[in-house]
Formats: sequence, structure tokens, C-alpha cells
Amino acid sequence: MEQWTRREDRRLLTGRGRFVADIAVPGCLDAVFVRSRVGHGTLREVDCAAARAVPGVVGAWSAADLAELPAVPYTLLARLSTEEAVAGREWPALVKDRVRYAGEALAVVLGEDRYRAEDGAAEVSCQVDPLPAMVKPSAAVDDSVRLFDGLSNIAFQGEAGKPVEESVWREAAAVVEGRYRQQLLMPTPMECRTILAVPEGDRLTVWSGHQMPHRLRRELAALLGWSEDRVRVVVPDTGGAFGSKSAAFPEFVVVAFLAVKLGRPVRWIEDRLESMLVATRGRGQDQRVRLAADAEGRLLGYELKIDADVGAYPHLGAGLPMQTAWLATGPYTTPQVHATVRSVLTNTMMTYPYRGAGRPEATIALERAMDVMARQLRLDPAELRRRNFIPPESFPYRTPTGRCYDSGNYVAALDLALETLGYDKWRAEQARRRTDPAALPLGIGLSCYVERSGGEAGGLHEFGSVEVGEDGTITARCGAAPSGQGHETVFAALVARTLGVAEERVRLVEGDTDEQPEGLGSFASRSAQVVGALLQHVARRLVDEARERAARLWELPVDEVAWSNGLVHAAESGSAAIEVAELVKVTGPLRVADRFESGMAFPFGSHAVVAEVDPELGTVRLLRVVTVDDCGVVLNPVLVRGQAFGSAVQGIGQALYEGMTYDEDGVPMLASGLLDYLLPTFTEVPPIEVKDTCTPSPSTPLGAKGAGESGCIGTPAAIVNAVADALRIADPDLLQMPLTPDVVWRAARAPKLQEVR
Amino acid sequence: MKPAAFDYVVPRTVPEAVAALGDTGRKVQVLAGGQSLILEMHLQRIRPELVVDINRIAGLDRLSVDGDTLRVGALVRHGVFESARAVPGPLGTLFARAVVNIAHPPIRSRGTMVGSFAWAHPASEWCAIGTALDADIEVQGPAGRRVVAARDWFHGPYRTARRPEELITAVRFPLLGDDTGVGFIEHRRTHFCFAQVAVAAALTVRDGVICEARIGLVNCADRPLRARAAEQALIGKELGPPVDGYRPPEDHPFAHAGRIAAARDAAPLAEPYADVEYKRQAIAVLVGRTLCQAANDQRSRAAQLKGDQQ
Amino acid sequence: MKITLTVNGAAYPLDVEPRRILADVLREDCGLTGTHLGCEHGICGACTVLVDGEAVRACLMFAVQCDGSSVRTVEGLAAPDGEPHPLQRAFSAEHALQCGFCTPGFLMVAAGALEADPNIGDDPERVDGLVGSNICRCTGYEPIRRAILRAAREQQGDRDGVNR
Repeated sequence: MEQWTRREDRRLLTGRGRFVADIAVPGCLDAVFVRSRVGHGTLREVDCAAARAVPGVVGAWSAADLAELPAVPYTLLARLSTEEAVAGREWPALVKDRVRYAGEALAVVLGEDRYRAEDGAAEVSCQVDPLPAMVKPSAAVDDSVRLFDGLSNIAFQGEAGKPVEESVWREAAAVVEGRYRQQLLMPTPMECRTILAVPEGDRLTVWSGHQMPHRLRRELAALLGWSEDRVRVVVPDTGGAFGSKSAAFPEFVVVAFLAVKLGRPVRWIEDRLESMLVATRGRGQDQRVRLAADAEGRLLGYELKIDADVGAYPHLGAGLPMQTAWLATGPYTTPQVHATVRSVLTNTMMTYPYRGAGRPEATIALERAMDVMARQLRLDPAELRRRNFIPPESFPYRTPTGRCYDSGNYVAALDLALETLGYDKWRAEQARRRTDPAALPLGIGLSCYVERSGGEAGGLHEFGSVEVGEDGTITARCGAAPSGQGHETVFAALVARTLGVAEERVRLVEGDTDEQPEGLGSFASRSAQVVGALLQHVARRLVDEARERAARLWELPVDEVAWSNGLVHAAESGSAAIEVAELVKVTGPLRVADRFESGMAFPFGSHAVVAEVDPELGTVRLLRVVTVDDCGVVLNPVLVRGQAFGSAVQGIGQALYEGMTYDEDGVPMLASGLLDYLLPTFTEVPPIEVKDTCTPSPSTPLGAKGAGESGCIGTPAAIVNAVADALRIADPDLLQMPLTPDVVWRAARAPKLQEVR
Repeated sequence: MKPAAFDYVVPRTVPEAVAALGDTGRKVQVLAGGQSLILEMHLQRIRPELVVDINRIAGLDRLSVDGDTLRVGALVRHGVFESARAVPGPLGTLFARAVVNIAHPPIRSRGTMVGSFAWAHPASEWCAIGTALDADIEVQGPAGRRVVAARDWFHGPYRTARRPEELITAVRFPLLGDDTGVGFIEHRRTHFCFAQVAVAAALTVRDGVICEARIGLVNCADRPLRARAAEQALIGKELGPPVDGYRPPEDHPFAHAGRIAAARDAAPLAEPYADVEYKRQAIAVLVGRTLCQAANDQRSRAAQLKGDQQ
Repeated sequence: MKITLTVNGAAYPLDVEPRRILADVLREDCGLTGTHLGCEHGICGACTVLVDGEAVRACLMFAVQCDGSSVRTVEGLAAPDGEPHPLQRAFSAEHALQCGFCTPGFLMVAAGALEADPNIGDDPERVDGLVGSNICRCTGYEPIRRAILRAAREQQGDRDGVNR
């Protein structure tokens, strides 16, 4: 055991991991989808006849051939969508008459293997008459072309906080404004989406790389018109998710439906090109901000207006931008904060949670505005933040935008970040370079964030159990479903620690709806905070149950029976003692199952970046990145550190590299796949120093807050601020992410601050 | 993303390969390294009916020097050139500086230099170097062998002077003398994408004066280019002292040559994240800096030569 | 087309269509699913295996090209007695994997280089080149770099120890 850091490692390092595509089921058919080559259009015809004649093709269908094919379900979880948003806007699993995003599935072909299914797909002929494709909210918001006839393209509107009083803007010593684009990003887990549906008798077993197996079971059962117990969802090893693998997607609907209809196993292993076209996107907001402060730099009011592109159907993420609105206050005591959201339907694939999910957008908008304000007031940006932090003694703190922060020590995180970076040293270097024409300009950027973990009200609980076998082994079960976070290691250790037994005795079972009848899953950085608390709670209840049984056995009052290290014994005399395994043999199966609810938690941190800019080419080189995150009590420092580092690199991706452009037909210009959509590679990773502070959360018994999304939330604004600081441009709005060389070069040529004054 | 079906032949000799390519009624592709071909087949942009795999033809993997000429056989993999000693003199240095920009080790262990000339991607490093150095491309067809100069080889993106029934057997480069310094700089968004712009340069200096300049432009047009106008502007200029800092000053001959290359030699095409205006800027900057690198290389070679002589 | 692949020392006589890429044949015809497909266009490197000792993308080679060749996959990395390869131990020790999907590709890139040049640990730039060959979305790469260096140095140390 001790030669592996995690229990997962042995199988994953020896080629014995089992991902969905690795599961061999005799007679399984591969599904391939024929996809629209335009972003918006009227479907005239789909002809699958030629495909059906291709050797190895078992069947080919368009929507017209499958009248009973159910539509794609929507979700109300965490207010990701609403009944009003989806009303009248059906999302068919195969296009019926109108194409609304590039890559939308027009037909499905089943083949004996993927090669043959693709042969068949190449023979399907489709005719789509193009309509104007609108890929940005600004193009769709005026309803001149409607995605759904008779309905507005604005599918959802919401707000957080009350409008800032006019007098605030009028009387403030400084008011700054900004317009920020949060570009669409692709979550890009290394394993694309997967589903394998195997009919067995009157049941369906579904294997999927998924974050929420119970939700998938519920949604698939509902669309098949079955009771939930007839569907079993199993999540084997999953190759990353980052928020993007928690829904029932159109392809899932088709696969489950056809597996049942044909009585044969069917799988869909999404390939990378499909993923680039039709995997859910993250971010996607056009923001306008206004920030007011008095002459001493005390913030007076903040306004954030969001036009979000939520994709063609409001089913998955129309309400997601509210995550941004609710966190608009950030870590500051700003008395008046108002955030408004318009979720606009566009001819793009759906926007859905991607690591950070609404919080990066809130942080980036506010933290960029903070740097502009600091420049306006001629204050050091660190000092401006320090003057406005919610003080540690003010928690719980109710924000003007409706959140109640549990705990925090924001200034401690900033101080540690500045100290780790060597802030003063870099400021001196910056000054030196400004006088040296042979030196590249250098900038320092800060970003202070507060985020939310655990989930929204109604989704802060989890189910699970702990069971002791007659052989003394302990099995913990829970509703979570990991995709690389090391649950088997960290939760087994937690249960063992709670019970005082050796870790090797404890085994974790998760990601199987037959093993664990109820559950929510792994999302919103909730696993340590919510699932950890549940498992500790259940383990403690197991101790109580064991003590009660022993007390009955020995006819002692229960408070005279103690538990230590898996041994139940009489507290006083020490004469009576029984190993828990023996107790099971004597008294029968010992298993405690429960539901446990935690509160929301609010992790926070400060990130600092030093960037060097080549103004002639527009290239940005990060010389140093420091992340200080506070996720409360850490269950496993190695794993949390790994999460922090990895997510910082994803944050660098948003700031500098990742983005997509569209052609005139509304098709993403990503035909060369990962040669067009540029993820950070090792060459792009700068020296990153990961540090933490620890402010326990009072909302959960473990004191743990969510970890893992910090870098995506905190790092991007620090990078953009560093580049703006290096260039000293008068109009920082010129810097829109990703900060590609052409963008930075243009900004570098723009008027400088002092030239304007 | 699975390749469509095709027939597959494995010739053992060049004549067998040429005979297979003579099947012009079908869409035929030569498979050498396959690192572009199979990628394109996954992306469904190429669907050959016949694939002629030349990997088992003996002798095509030869890298040889004959007098002042380097001959690179059709199966010499990119990775060979990672060592500057694989090729004599400054040419070896130039190749070594360029090759690290071609994808990464597992691609370079399969992909071939000659394959780059066959594929003719506008962002190919080798193709621009070949154009700048006046390389020759050897092709074998049913009627025998012919040699095409690099300047006549490239007809546009993925289009060359090769006839369908011909096999490229080698590319030949003139070796560079010890009085020549070389430079290669590539500009791209991340390590995993094609160059937005890259520049190869070779400066020959005698008595402190530039007597020959060769500048190859990568992805600065629909095909590889030689920046002849910029080269002309350098002839007869003093090499001068090394440049201080990351760029030559505005009035430096290298900066001047860069501006000429961008304005007169290049014909850049817009692409996402690099419109024509930006590309011209990048070309001007990169040409200037690559010339600085080549000049430094020349200086250190001259210094070493001097040391050797003493 | 009839071919014989030698994979991890075992001969696999196979009848495959020429268009089938090596990765699919390893996974489906040989049942060795440790080689993963992450992008199928040669970028991500999850499918990297060793062909005649050299790291290649198994999605950018047809299996028929490997007729008669010796292929090594992640399943063949540990010693026959099951003793983990130093790279496997180092990846775990440095927490160089999270979801583990890209891991076999990184292991094989590193294994090929390490076997070709046991002194690669002395050349951090070459190690950087190896880490820069593939894509990982979880770790941020730095732990992978440390793991490769750790394994390289450990092997060097073992050898030096024997030599002494």
C-alpha cells in the first residue's frame, strides 16, 4: 500500500484502470452522430437509406424515423434552468425541423464498430437551409432573428442586490467603468463524454463517465417512462470532468432509447472533434461594470451587468450566470452592489458549469475594475484591496447580493501572497526596467477572490453508509462520483480516522446506483465539504450503534461502553471487550446509512502574478505565479495542492490561450482540433508557488471548504492585471481574454496612461 | 474520426513504389512518416483510396554528404536533426534550431523532412529553409528521375510540382561555410500549434561585411518564401557590434531588413488571432531578431575559428 | 490483412483492416485497454506507445505498419514479477496523476527516453521536452516533470551503486 500515494494509482499507472471505452460488452454497437455543418438553419431532409446499406451498419435513424424519441431533459438543480425558460423551447435529441447550433445531431448511425458506424454516417445525406447564425449575445439580444418563433431570445433575467443609488455615482470621488468579455471555453477533460447502455431483462445498466449518477438514473428513467429502480448507473474510472459531465446530453438520450428499443448494448464514445463542436462550454459573458469609491479608496458602489450567451437551448445553463451575480460583492465591504443578468440564446452549444462556474466571471470583472480604480486613485492596488476587505471579525457576513459568507481572513491571504511573491522586490524591478530601454516591461497583477462551494440550497446534502463485515472489513458508500480527485484514498482515510482503525480496513464504494440507492454526486467542489461531513457523521453513528449493541449484550448503560480503535469495551472495568467484527458475528449485520446536510462555504484567496510583455510581438511571459488559497480544513494536503496547481494552469489557459472564433455559418473554427483550441502545455507553465491559509468553515463539521476551482477563479484576473500594469495603457478594456499576441500588441500600441492625462 | 477504408501496398523498391503511384485512376497517398497524413485522415479531410507505404524501401533513410551537398533521403526522420552534429557546419546548427519547433519528440521520431516538402504546409519550417537555401528536390517517376529547385517546387498550400505518379526520393541542401552564421526563431501561441510566423536566416560575412544573406519566411504567404528584397538591403552592410537588449534599434540594418521583408517580400494571409496587419508586424520583428541571432552565431564561429588558428 | 504484432513480448497474429490505427488494434484486438485515445489526431499523446523502442503516437500509425515490430504499452512497463517500473512509483510519489487518463502516454514517452538514455536525468531540458510532448488537464505538468526526474535519478543512483 505505502508505495502508492493514492489507492487509485496502482491501477491507473499499470494500465488496469477501467474507463467506459475499456469495457468490452459482446455485441455492443457503436453510435455515431451525423451533425449539422451550420449553426442555424431549417432542416429540409435527412436521408439515411444509403447508410443502412453500408456493411456493418445495423441501423440509421433521423428524428422522423423515431417519433417516440424523448426530448432532452432540463435541470432545475442550483437554478441552472427554470420552468419559464424552457417553456415552449423543446430540445429534441435529434433535430426535428430547426438546427440551432453547429454540430446538433441530425441522425444517428449504429454500427458493429466505430469504423463501420462512421462509414454509415458518411452516407447520410442532409439538407439544411441556412438561417442567420448569431453566436454572440449582442447579435441575438434584439430579437431581430428568433431562435424560437414567437419567443424572445432572452430566456432568463435575474438580479442580485438593489440598484445602486444615483447619488453614489454622482458624489463619489472616483468612478471607473469597464467592459469585459468572458470568452467561451471548452472544459476539455482528456476523456470525452461516454455512455454505454446495456439492457438486461427489464433493466438497463448504464456505464458513463459522469459526476452525478443518480441524476442520470433519474433523468434516463423518466424519459424511458420507467421506475428508477429499473435503471442502474455505474461510473467507472472517469478521465476528468471539470463540471462538464453532469447532465443527460442529447446523445445519451438517443443511446439509452435505442439500446432499449433494439434490446442490444449501445455505446457512444465521444471523439475529440465532436467534443469540440458539441461538448458544453464554460463562461460566455459580456459584462459591463461600474465601481465607485471615495477619495480614501473606500468602495461605495458596484454595478455589474451581464449579457450571457447560454447557448441555443436554455435547458442546462440559462440560470448559471446568477452564480456570478450572487458573488458580485467579492471580498469587499462595498455597501451597495447590484448585479443584473440577461441570459441570451445564441446559435452555440450550451453554456454549462466549467471549473469555477460563474465565480471566475465575478472575480475577473471585479478584480479588473479594482486595478483600474487603484490607478485612478493613484493607490497601490494591494492597499486599495486592504482598505476594503471584509474584516475577519465580521463573519458571518451577509452581502448586498444575497450571500452569507461563513468565514474568512482575506487580508491574511493577501499578505501571504505578497510576501511569497516578494512584492516590493518586483515593484523595484519594474521601476528599474522602466528606465532601461533594452529591458522588457514587467507588470504585477493581483486578484483576490471569494467563491462558494458545496452547492445551492436544496443540494447541500448527501447520502451514504458505513458497514462492518464479519471479517472486520469496513465498507463506506456514498453518492459521490469522482473524476480524478482521489476519493478512494481520502474518504477511506477519513472513515478510518473517525473509527480509529487502520486505513487498509476501509474500502469506499461510490458511483454505482445499485450499491448506493440515493445520492447527489460530485460538483460545486462539494465532496470534501459535504460528502466528507456525511461520512464522518455516518461513521460516528456506527460507533454509537456498536456501543449500544455491546451495552445490550453486556447489560450495561450505553455511556459505560466505549469505542476505541475498532474495539468496543466497557469503559470502567475494562473486563468486557469485543472486536467490532466479533460483535457483528454475535449481533448481526452492522450498517448505518443516513443523509447529512452541510451549509454553503466560501473559500477565498489571493493570487499574484508577475508578467513580462514583449510589446513588439505582444507575447506574455509569466515570470512568477503565486496562489494563496483558503479552503478551510484540508483533508489531504497533497491532493488539495494538486488541485490548486492544476486549476491555476487552467486559469492561465483562460487568460492567455483558450478561445474560439466562429465562421459566418456559426461554426466554431476548430477544424484542426487541439491545433486550433490551444490548451496550456508544459512549455507554457510558469513557476507557480502554491500556498494556503486555513480558516475553518463553521458550516460543516469537518471545517472543510471546497478546493479545486481556485486557480480558474483567482488566476486569470491577476494575469490580465499584470499585463495591464506592464503596458500602463489608458484603456484597459483593450485587453480582452484570451490575451493573444495580436491583442496584446494592439494594446501595447494604444495611448499610455500619462499621455492621456 | 476514424480513417475511411483504403487499399494498402508496401513496395520494397523505389520502382515498385513508382509503379504503385501510377494507379492514377484512384486517389493515392504516399505514407512516409504519416504524421500529417494520418492526422488529416482522422479529420476526414483526406480520404485516399490507395496508400503506398514507402517505409520498407531500403536506403531511403540515408542521410549523406557528397562534396558540398547534403542529401536527405525520404525516410530520414525529423528527430535526426535534433543533434547539430548530424549535419556538418552551420547547416547542422540551423537544422537543430529549427527542428525543435516541429511538434515534439514522439512526432519527430516518425515524421520526415522530405514529407514536409511533399505536404507543403505554409507553416513548414523545413520548406522555408529549403527555399531560402536553394534546396533541390529529387523526384522519381515512370520516365526516370528529375530534380526541381525549391523555388519552383511550391505552388501554394499543399500544392507542389510533384506529379501524382512521382515519388520524392530526397531533398538536397548546399552545405554552409564556416563564414556563415545562422538563426531560426519561431513565433507561435503555444508549444502545440503551428507557427504564426517563423524566420530562418543565414548571413555570410567576410571582413566584417555581409556578402550574402538568405532569409526564409515561414507562414508569411500561401507558400514558403525567400525574402529577397530584405536580403538585398543587407548586402555590403557592416556586421557591426552585437545588439544590446531583445531587439535591434529602429535604425539598425536588421530592423530595416525586417520592415522590408514584411512590406515587400511577405504576402501574409489572415488567420484567427493573427490578421494581416499583425502578421506583418511579427514578420518585421522576427526577421530583425533572427538576423541578430545569425550575426551572433557568425561572430562566435569567427571567434572560434580565430582561436583554432592560434 | 494478416500481420503479427509483438506486444509486451507476446506475439499477436492478427487479421486487421489497413485503416485500423495501432491504438484501436491494441485496445480492441489485443484487449490492452491501457492505451487511451484522447484526441485521435496526434496532439494529446494519451495513446503514446513504444514501437521498436521509440515513443510514437498510436493514433498516427496504422497497425499494419507495425507488422513484425515490437510494441510496448503501459501494461508491459512493470517487471514480469509485477514489480512496478521506477516511473510508475515516481508518478505516484509525486502525485503526477489525478484522473489518470493521460498517464499511460506520459509514462511511455518517458520510458522510451529513459531506456534510450539512462542519463537523461542530467539534462533537465530534455526532460522538459518530454513533458511538453503530451497534454494533461489535471496536474499542471509540474508533478509529471518531477516524477520523470525522480525516476531517472533513481535509476542512475541504482546503477552507480552497482558500479561501485
